Amino acid sequence: MNFFQTVFNYIRETYTDRLFYFPSNIRISLLIILFCVIAVLELYVYISFRRAQQIKRKRDEAKWKEYIDNMLANLVIFDESDSTEDIVAHFYPKMSKLPLRNPIVNEVLTAEILTYHKNFTGKIHEVLSILYRRLNLDRKSKKKINNKNWEVKIEGIREANEMRIKEMAGEIIKYTDDENSLLRMEAQAAYIKLSEQYPFRFLDRAQERILDWHQVVLFEIITKNKQLSIPSFSHWLRSSNDTVVMLCLKLIEHFMQFDAAEEVQRLLKHHNPKVVKKSVEIIGKLELADAEKHMFEVYFDQPEEIKLEILNSLGKISSGNYNDFLSSRIYSTDPKIKKEALYAIKRNPEHGEEKLREIYKQTTLENQALIKHVLDHRIKP
Amino acid sequence: MREFLATFETFFNNAIFYYALFVMGSYVVLTLLSAIEMNGYMKKNSYVNYREILVSPLAPSVSILAPAYNEEATIIENIRSLLSLHYGNYEVIIINDGSKDSTFQRMFDYYQLEKVDFAVNYQIQCKEIRGVYKSKLPSFSKLTVVDKVNGGKSDALNAGINVAGKDLILCIDVDCIVQEDALLKLAKPYLEEKYQVIATGGVVRIANSCKVEDGKLVEVNMPRNLWPRFQVLEYIRAFLMGRMAWSRLNGLLIISGAMGLFDKNIVIKVGGYDHSTVGEDMELVVRMRRYMYEQDRRFKVVYIPDPLCWTEAPADLQVLGRQRNRWTRGTIETLWMHKDLFFNPRYGILGMLSYPYWFFFEWLAPIIEFLGISIFILLAFMGNINWEFSLILVSMVYFFSLALSTVAILFEEMSYQQYTKGGDLVKLLLAAFLEPILYHPLTVYWAIMGNVHKFAGKNNWGAMTRKGFTEKKAVQEAPTQTTTI
Amino acid sequence: MSKILIAEDEVLMLKALEFKLKKDGYQVDVAADGRQAMEKVKSNTYDLILTDIMMPFVGGMEILSYIKNDPIKKNTPVLLISAVGLENVVLEGFHLGADDFIYKPFNLNELSVRIKRYIKQNVF
Repeated sequence: MNFFQTVFNYIRETYTDRLFYFPSNIRISLLIILFCVIAVLELYVYISFRRAQQIKRKRDEAKWKEYIDNMLANLVIFDESDSTEDIVAHFYPKMSKLPLRNPIVNEVLTAEILTYHKNFTGKIHEVLSILYRRLNLDRKSKKKINNKNWEVKIEGIREANEMRIKEMAGEIIKYTDDENSLLRMEAQAAYIKLSEQYPFRFLDRAQERILDWHQVVLFEIITKNKQLSIPSFSHWLRSSNDTVVMLCLKLIEHFMQFDAAEEVQRLLKHHNPKVVKKSVEIIGKLELADAEKHMFEVYFDQPEEIKLEILNSLGKISSGNYNDFLSSRIYSTDPKIKKEALYAIKRNPEHGEEKLREIYKQTTLENQALIKHVLDHRIKP
Repeated sequence: MREFLATFETFFNNAIFYYALFVMGSYVVLTLLSAIEMNGYMKKNSYVNYREILVSPLAPSVSILAPAYNEEATIIENIRSLLSLHYGNYEVIIINDGSKDSTFQRMFDYYQLEKVDFAVNYQIQCKEIRGVYKSKLPSFSKLTVVDKVNGGKSDALNAGINVAGKDLILCIDVDCIVQEDALLKLAKPYLEEKYQVIATGGVVRIANSCKVEDGKLVEVNMPRNLWPRFQVLEYIRAFLMGRMAWSRLNGLLIISGAMGLFDKNIVIKVGGYDHSTVGEDMELVVRMRRYMYEQDRRFKVVYIPDPLCWTEAPADLQVLGRQRNRWTRGTIETLWMHKDLFFNPRYGILGMLSYPYWFFFEWLAPIIEFLGISIFILLAFMGNINWEFSLILVSMVYFFSLALSTVAILFEEMSYQQYTKGGDLVKLLLAAFLEPILYHPLTVYWAIMGNVHKFAGKNNWGAMTRKGFTEKKAVQEAPTQTTTI
Repeated sequence: MSKILIAEDEVLMLKALEFKLKKDGYQVDVAADGRQAMEKVKSNTYDLILTDIMMPFVGGMEILSYIKNDPIKKNTPVLLISAVGLENVVLEGFHLGADDFIYKPFNLNELSVRIKRYIKQNVF
């Protein structure tokens, strides 16, 4: 006890009477110590407080989730033949009794309806959409979209998107060219699904970049959505926004839009190498034989990456017009070019492999190894 | 003489004070930066649905490169978990680096391998590749095994790069536990940054005492042993605070050798991993950055703070000491090989900030600390010590480091919260109390020993990795003895 | 009464499937993650297994490959629920012996008809 008393007294004196007699560096050190000790204590309080709150919240959430899940899961006991109105009439009174003012209940209910809606089709789908509106959850989504924080906006947009609240399309389009890239993407994704007349209008006005990541997301939505009426994407190939051009090229490739052939050929002279590369890829994929000569024309001015792509596409087309060109590539100094050219030769379904065996007989050891590699079906190019 | 010693003592106290102030100031700045970056990252990524990248044909393709040397006990299991990652377009390349045990035979039997006519394009120098193998079974079509002459980890990775057929390469330690969504998270930055991304690095977390089933992490626990527990704290501080801040500045120098995703073309252009250093992971990033500056290309090295990779930390002090010794030597070697970067404005952040930081904080700090303690002891012997002042100075450093660790724990709490049990949290907070007294002095000692070994030319621990010494690099590197302090 | 195991990590989905199949008159066993599912599969026999592909710890593929490699249980029909439309996942699933794939979002009534068919096939 005595020892602690002494220590305590010493510390008290150090910080009161003696503080001003220390040299300045020691005084500052003492203040830093004081600051750190207070900070650490406060952090302890904060961390434990956070944990306690978290535990309570989790418990509440679990309780409500269980309750709401049970309620919602009962939706499945109805048959496809029951009238939608009957099902809604059966569930609405129960659900409207939920304490929706409690933010946890509100959040859990919204989330669960959304999950349910996302995973099932058929009658349940319809019933959930009606319930969502009856419970006024759609108004909350709308409020979220008009919130000033982008995170909240995104939440609202997602809800509107999943629950197909079509009247919000007009609200959402103004964010499709927002500075915030995440918000922009969510808005674009939702707009495609919600706009009835012209789901791709946002492409006309897109000034901001559509990041590769967002192209992935949009591509998924566009290609997986069976209800969407697909326009001819060549319409946007002259856009000054390269990312719009890229997205459209990917879609042209996926939907095999042959009407874009001429526009795609024109893009071989585009200033952006990414666009050129993609165009070459499409020419191969769609086997646009007319474009072969254009690819050949530009071949020698291209960086390695695009050269490889051109060789690949020539292989896919396999018209026979450029056989000699492909064969002569094995004199290249770049092993990658050689390999790609050999694969291109192999692609010819009639006499590709035969041709390779022919070359094998009269070429260098290095090329022979490459030809063996190319002919080995277990290795994927 | 007495007078001189008294003056010296004042000077010494002041020097320690200002040095400590400088170091602490830098930590405060880094902490603030990491807080900003962390906040942004968490906010942004709570809205991401990784499913799209998983199913999309537009996602970048990845070759996973995992060197294996004498891993017979776990290799089958490790490969299985690599093959079951959640990602669309990827392949797994295991490089058997001339194992002396049955590593290769086990893979050969279990995965029913057969040799294929693979024409290896030796774009990067590496030891001879004896054969490339694929599985006969269609369900293992993602797997390729490369059998090569032993040359060390860097050499094995280089061999893997020569065989890799995809756009990105993920270099990992074969024995670490990779989270299933790791590839999705690491690949995403390649699709979303404004500038070209050349590398993304992941966090390494400590798996000691955690529950692992079938190569997957099932339950996270605080290590029971004290030394790994200190490392947990150390890693949280380094990964959630340090690297996050450097990522914010786009000045990240190190991507852990346990997990990093790189742009294959750039790696090939810079010549792959360097065989001549034991710090090959850091050296590669420095060289890649440097290349990009020299090409005048805008780029980014991105860091993903999600816990994606778990590894067993050394619980044995001797093994731990050896690891730290090697890290120190790696740092010295990298710094020496790129000494022209030091405050070189041509290399932007790399030259003006990252390199000097590594020089002063990672290399010099333990040495200064060691010298400080030595002088203190000397002065104490001569009776010229103001014990009270010294105690206050030491307390300042102690409480500052305690506060810093506590903030790091708060970061962990607010982000990933891996240690969900209340008891584990308390253990971590207690570790923060003891760390500066018990663990920190050891790290300083190991760092000093690393310096001693490096400059006294003792390279006994690096023996294996030094096998692939190429002539060109030998000239470039070979530190002369004159650089000894 | 035919016995079905449902493995699905999304609680609401699990519950909905459970209710639906119980209503259809099956005896239903549920697993909320892959590990539980694996334990149940190892210690019981079922007439049909309905499992999600993506679950924490143990995926649907692993459960599938366990069943199809077990000499006694290998005739149990396994239906995989998947949100993933990747060709190679589907291919891998069929290689391993999956009986059918169900893509999210799906129609519950359609699923119930399919299940009825698989169970009938197995009885005769």
